[in-house]
Amino acid sequence: MPEKLSFWSSLAEHWRIARTLRGLQIHFYPEKCTGVWQCYEVCPIGCWTPDREARKAIFHDGYRCIACGACVLQCPEGAIELTV
Amino acid sequence: MATVFMKWLETTPGGYDRGIQLLTLGRLTPLKERIAADYVRPGDGSTELAEVRVLEIGCGTGTLALMMAQRGATVVGIDSSPLMLAEARRKVAAERLDDRVTLMEMDASLLTDHFAPDSFDVIVATLVFSELSEDERRFVLDECRTLLAPGGRLIVADEVVPDGLGARLLFYVVRLPLALVTWLLTRTTTHPLPRLPQELAAAGFRAESVASFLGTSLQLFVARSAAEVEAAPVRQFPRLRHRVTLRTLLTDLWALFFRIIPPYPKVRPGLYTVGQPGPDSPVLVTGNFDLTVRRLVQAIDGRVDTWLLVADSAGINVWCAAGGGYFTAEKVISAVKSSHVAEVVRHHALILPQLCANGVDGWRIRRETGWGVHWGPVRARDLPAYLAAGRVKTDAMRWVRFPLKDRLEMVTVTLGFYGLLILLPVLIFWRGLFWPITASLVGLSYFYAVVHPWLPGRDGLLKSIPLTLIALAGLLAYTWLWNPLPLPRLFNWTVGLIGLSVFTGAELQGMSPLMRGEQANWGWEATIGAILGLIYWLVPLALGWR
Repeated sequence: MPEKLSFWSSLAEHWRIARTLRGLQIHFYPEKCTGVWQCYEVCPIGCWTPDREARKAIFHDGYRCIACGACVLQCPEGAIELTV
Repeated sequence: MATVFMKWLETTPGGYDRGIQLLTLGRLTPLKERIAADYVRPGDGSTELAEVRVLEIGCGTGTLALMMAQRGATVVGIDSSPLMLAEARRKVAAERLDDRVTLMEMDASLLTDHFAPDSFDVIVATLVFSELSEDERRFVLDECRTLLAPGGRLIVADEVVPDGLGARLLFYVVRLPLALVTWLLTRTTTHPLPRLPQELAAAGFRAESVASFLGTSLQLFVARSAAEVEAAPVRQFPRLRHRVTLRTLLTDLWALFFRIIPPYPKVRPGLYTVGQPGPDSPVLVTGNFDLTVRRLVQAIDGRVDTWLLVADSAGINVWCAAGGGYFTAEKVISAVKSSHVAEVVRHHALILPQLCANGVDGWRIRRETGWGVHWGPVRARDLPAYLAAGRVKTDAMRWVRFPLKDRLEMVTVTLGFYGLLILLPVLIFWRGLFWPITASLVGLSYFYAVVHPWLPGRDGLLKSIPLTLIALAGLLAYTWLWNPLPLPRLFNWTVGLIGLSVFTGAELQGMSPLMRGEQANWGWEATIGAILGLIYWLVPLALGWR
């Protein structure tokens, strides 16, 4: 039976990952943002634009976000999180 | 022609700059700017470098000395003309750079008496050596070798008698009237250098790079100590060119149908050249998927001269490799260190593909290597424009779109593999259904590619719902208007079309980088497939069709 168990558990794991991926959302903490705009540099979708006057980034269009995580990884201030 | 009027101009320092600018057809200032930009502060400002110590022999009115001081160098300028130096002092004071620029009235033959050996990182002499006799030049060149610190460079820009009979003839024809006028005005003349490269070599220098201005008569030599150059290991870097060969065609064909199956065609990681890059050419970084490298080379070969640093991405394209943890900051750091790229370029700027930012930690590379990380454009074909603009990226270069051309290309590529996967069993087991199923699959796929942006839903699985409805509407129209099907066959076609639509919708969207978590769809596809199979098996049993 161990084969069958591992099959079902891997199926469960697969669904867990799938659910996580679908539910991922960007959380932006503007107070931490220092206007480095690496997020704008790397986002392939255009979810981020620079606010040049305020020296902050602006996040919009969370609907089109594909949760690739590039902005999270490149933000030097840790102002962006990707959570369920 | 530059030095012909110099004797006369030197007596009128106020007009000297304007006169020289005129004589060199405006090319001297760009030449000086280039010297200052290239040799005073290597790097892109992202790393702090020690202050560069510059000696300018024959600083004249101090134009170049000021440019270099403004870039953070400490400059000692010597000249034998007090009038010129007075003008230079005025300019230095006006720019408030007295603490960086030291001006001394001194003949070049006194240099080693006043400065200790290894005192300078850069020694520069523009339009000076042609003023000296051969003996003086040999003496000054010897002094320069003594005064240059290890790794230091001698930069000479001067009037040179060009090589080649035609060029030489033209040179003398143009020069003669100018020389005559100068002689009449000043009773002196200048001596364009006939064999500066040989003289540099005799003094123990080796020219690193030579650039010509104004045809070939004004030349820029950059030289290092020959002993040092020889002590440094000579490295050869393979040059990549855009070529279509039988091997690339076969690789493409393999990648077209079986790209999901490893091993992926790979390029050996390391440093390559595209075109003829120099010490200031940009360094592009990419992964080692064969097609990635070839597409990149195709896009830039013949347009820009660059270094290409291929890092190990397990033979996967950069987006997928970075997302899957195969292409990381560690791989890039390792490539930077092991390729010795720092020894062939003077700057410290890496240009990474934007689409690896989802897995390559730029700050880690900056911290560990001291190199600057710049996120280049999404598409390789935008690289020439991006580089020409000075690493400035427009939004069109930054944002991924999925235009019709790309969608059709992707559908074709995807059909190559999935068509084989689905149609081969059909051909073997249900030969009679082969053509209807092929037509449905191909028709649905291309229809989906065309209408993709207008179908509601964020990802392929949701978009497959309207796709299914459209396919079923087509089936109903067919049976109603054209060829009435018996109920059991209509049922079979309904189940089949739902399956194909879900598969097409979900799989084809995964080909674009505009989709979130492709993995999420496999479970749904399998589940829907299983349910459809169950319906296909149970319903006819329950209704007694079988």
